[in-house]
Amino acid sequence: MQLDLFSAFRNSADFNGVLFYYNGQLSQNVINTMSDTLKHRLENEEAAQAKARKLFSSFIEMVQNALHYSPPDPDGNGEKVGAVAVGKQDNKFYIVCGNLVESQYAARIREKIEPLRSMTLDEIKKAYRAQLKNDQHENEDSVSKGAGLGFLTVARDASEPIEYSLMNVPAHDELAYFYLKAIV
Amino acid sequence: MHDFYLARTSHSPEINFQFSRHHLSMTGEAYPENANDFFLPVLGQLKHYLDHTDGQHIVFDFRLTYFNSAATKMLYTLFGLLNESASTRNRITLNWFHDVEDDTILEFGEGIQDDFLALDFHAIAEDLAAA
Repeated sequence: MQLDLFSAFRNSADFNGVLFYYNGQLSQNVINTMSDTLKHRLENEEAAQAKARKLFSSFIEMVQNALHYSPPDPDGNGEKVGAVAVGKQDNKFYIVCGNLVESQYAARIREKIEPLRSMTLDEIKKAYRAQLKNDQHENEDSVSKGAGLGFLTVARDASEPIEYSLMNVPAHDELAYFYLKAIV
Repeated sequence: MHDFYLARTSHSPEINFQFSRHHLSMTGEAYPENANDFFLPVLGQLKHYLDHTDGQHIVFDFRLTYFNSAATKMLYTLFGLLNESASTRNRITLNWFHDVEDDTILEFGEGIQDDFLALDFHAIAEDLAAA
């Protein structure tokens, strides 16, 4: 990378309040290292403890989601890859995560997230409690590897409706790029 | 049966099940890569203990400052096991330690209290920043 491009990249990150950015291979080790770094960054941010905890929770849900569901990078060595940014703008924290998903699951992701975007916090909490008590989740959702609480947790911890986007991956119809953003 | 102990790691809690004293505790944070792999053996130990324990007063000190969504589901199952035993065979006190400022964990605890009525539930606010 040329130095002037790196400078522009850095300035743009600064302008957008980026505290933390990672792009590359995803593994539990990488996630652990990032979690520790994020915790230290938040300690220095003088964020209210409650807010810092919610941000950390959203971060973990998003990166573990990316690790559990993304297929290997088709142009890599079978590694899972993802990008994540945490930042602060207008006194609110945001977190954005991007990773590959299989295009066949795009509709499923929309179905799970879209309703959350128009729910009130009380409705989200009710849906969360209902899903927590749902013993049939494994039978109802064979794709899910968790408890079906991930997106609900992110929506619960966010102070604004969560945003998402699914984008085509050039030359790979079977894949889509999934972006998720939460403001805490 | 033998006591069960797991040391705390950066992403999994300390599990200190002193079955011999009927005192069980969980301390730290829980976001292991695979919540089932971590919690199923813990649930297995607990179930075995509860299956072989009658007429005791069991104290469970819950002191987790963070757990991810997959761990949450496992914890819900764990409290279900305790409630079942508390409904029939043992008296079980659940001490729910939570940070003064942490509404999320307090609310989850209140949900546990509502759903599992046989547990003798006590929410205890304290400064857990150092826990």
